[in-house]
Amino acid sequence: MTVQPGEIHGLVGQNGSGKTTLVKLLSGYHAPDSGGEVQVDGAPVGLPVRPAELHRLGMSVVHQDLGLLDDFTVVENVRIGAFRRRRLTRSIRWDGERQLAREALQHLGHEIDPNARVRDLLPADRATVAIARALQHHHPGRGVIMFDESSRALPRDSLEHFHALIREVAGRGGSVLLVSHQLEEVLSVADRVTVLRDGVVVASGTPTSELDEHELIRLMLGYELDSRAPARAAVTRDGREPAARARGVCGRLVDGVTLEIGSSEIVGVTGLMGSGFEELPYLLGGAHPAQAGELTVGGRRIDLATACPRDLVDAGVALVPERRDAQGLSLSMSLLENVTLPRVRVHGSPGRLGFGWQREEADWVIRELGVRPPAPGMTVGNLSGGNQQKVMLGKWLRGDPRLLVLHEPTRAVDVAARRDLMAVIFRVATSGSGVLVAGMDANELQSMCDRVLIMRDGRIEEELRGAAVTVEGVVNAVYRNHSNGHAAVREGVA
Amino acid sequence: MAGLLRRGAERYALIGVWGLMIAFYWAIEPADFGTSGTFKTIFGSQAALVFLSMALLCTIIVGEFVDLSVAAILGLCATIVPVLSVLHGMNVTLASIIAVAVGTSAGAINGILVVGVGVNIIVVTLGMSTLLLGIALAVSHLHIVSGLSDSYSKIALADVFGLPITFYYGIAIALVFAYVLGFTPLGRHMRFVGSNREVSRLAGIRVNRIRFGAFVMSGFLCGVGGVVIAAGLGGFDPSSSVTYLLPTFSAVFLGTAVVQPGRFNPIGTLAGVYFLATGILGLQELGYAGWISDVFYGAALIIAVTLSTVVRRVAAA
Repeated sequence: MTVQPGEIHGLVGQNGSGKTTLVKLLSGYHAPDSGGEVQVDGAPVGLPVRPAELHRLGMSVVHQDLGLLDDFTVVENVRIGAFRRRRLTRSIRWDGERQLAREALQHLGHEIDPNARVRDLLPADRATVAIARALQHHHPGRGVIMFDESSRALPRDSLEHFHALIREVAGRGGSVLLVSHQLEEVLSVADRVTVLRDGVVVASGTPTSELDEHELIRLMLGYELDSRAPARAAVTRDGREPAARARGVCGRLVDGVTLEIGSSEIVGVTGLMGSGFEELPYLLGGAHPAQAGELTVGGRRIDLATACPRDLVDAGVALVPERRDAQGLSLSMSLLENVTLPRVRVHGSPGRLGFGWQREEADWVIRELGVRPPAPGMTVGNLSGGNQQKVMLGKWLRGDPRLLVLHEPTRAVDVAARRDLMAVIFRVATSGSGVLVAGMDANELQSMCDRVLIMRDGRIEEELRGAAVTVEGVVNAVYRNHSNGHAAVREGVA
Repeated sequence: MAGLLRRGAERYALIGVWGLMIAFYWAIEPADFGTSGTFKTIFGSQAALVFLSMALLCTIIVGEFVDLSVAAILGLCATIVPVLSVLHGMNVTLASIIAVAVGTSAGAINGILVVGVGVNIIVVTLGMSTLLLGIALAVSHLHIVSGLSDSYSKIALADVFGLPITFYYGIAIALVFAYVLGFTPLGRHMRFVGSNREVSRLAGIRVNRIRFGAFVMSGFLCGVGGVVIAAGLGGFDPSSSVTYLLPTFSAVFLGTAVVQPGRFNPIGTLAGVYFLATGILGLQELGYAGWISDVFYGAALIIAVTLSTVVRRVAAA
């Protein structure tokens, strides 16, 4: 494949098709098999690529997981590997470093305290820091910048700015390689697209003007697929007890949320980053202690201020977190071990684990969610991102939760996998569970939810029901009242 | 079939090396090495190391990688038994129970500090190690206290099929441990806590309880080991306990190369213990003495940890 100077080149393909592997080959993380060749600005690059050489070549990468050091400050993260030193003492010139970091961030339209620890940042700010780090080494008119799903953590308002920024990079003659699952994003931002399927290029540099979403999906899959949500069986809920009730929930961002989730109901919750919608799942799942609030599930009242995750798991609450590697799965353990973990206490007697049910559950997850490869003994860390996501969902779905709490369940997941995931979530809902989906993707919310709650400043400010749940409706509600409060500050900066 | 062979080769490579080592010693020292005495020494004299490595394994499995205090806890317990019964005339059974209680408490204190308070484990266990060594030297007045009765030594030395009963203790502990890890919910939880604490917590596992329990169990095993060692030797030299620390780590890390490559496991650890014992005995019979154990155990630790790192990387890929 060829990326022209001055172009934004999209790279798409299903999970496991080799997008990330390609980026990691180009950035020197993996060593390629012999026989390939890479040229940057006309000059051949020695393989395997040496990471130290990347700066000089004008290549930089923003990886999928952002590659940030949580315990270090923003300035350290942005400037790592490029610190300028005093001549004599070889000590780092921190004033200058802070200034450079601040400039790099301002260039992205964000005001982030350079001395803040990355751990304490919101997801959107984390992404900004990673992107700032990649862009600071860019020489106008040369080199390649690769974004591996890095825009997925950006809220919609920074997204536009991000797109403007990469257009600017391309406009000055630099090249951008944009790896993304957001086909809409690729089609609107990229000039040309390369499609990978099973590690092979199936379309090389096709101009986006000749493509639409449907065609792109066909190329990725090799067959036709309806990209809309799968069918969902209708259920009547009249007269049934709600699946869950939350009252007066308060956390770091959430400030007094009360909500009810009906049996078989899928409720979306969204808002701007920082509005609290991204914290709510973790308060309800017991992952973060709440300051106050209670949750009623299956006839049990749980005080969220004192509850531990175990209480909530036992009550039938399943939390599917966004950060798969940190909270969702144990990457060094096998698929089977990960899937069965929450039920090991229940199924096994203290003296015996029993293996039949474990095997059966693993096979169920592989079958129902279409995990590839279908190997229960495989170490989860060796599965592709989308398949890991399926395993994480399967782990909790198999327990028939009364309340399923999801945070960005289909982020960075390809179209076919997304469909599989949605179909399973729908089935769980149909069986009578309540589902709460927290996320920023209006498309996803629209195709899944019966109701969408919009949060602002830690409170639920608006509710969309039935026919009002449309992409436009959700986006408009999220961005309404821009002229005041927290949202206005962000928008003003962007 | 080829895959099965390759997996088998990976899993039991250490056993193969062990066999080669035995063949080598046998070939050059047939008179000394190729005897049943050698066999007895290898399998009958490793009680301290077996108990220690099982104790260390408890905490390593749950993700606490460097408990430096196990050897000192065992040393103190082994010192307490003869001190109480020989110097102070206490009933030897009561003395043994006290020793086990002391070991368990030392493990519990480690647990409280590391798990409850969140102090760095290296600092806690390094301090605990030196502290307990000092106490052992104090209660024994810097002497080797011996003179435990012969009848009491039966609990360690009773002959079963030609080997002392301690050998079977080790086998039994390793088998029970392996069963717990592989076939019970507790074992699965321990593995997950060692692999990813947050994932475990969110799955409803009481992570801190398991971590604390591992420290207590580790202390308990050290206590029982101390009693058995003291009984077998008739007494104990408190200053000798530190020499056990390095081989303990070597054995545990060597164990990751066997049975379940890339994972710490009890059966592999047991194999590691006897592997090291074979190596050192062969060298001693070749006429190297004194300094050889330092060189051998030091080198073995480095090689074992390197091997364990490489095996884990290969197993993950």
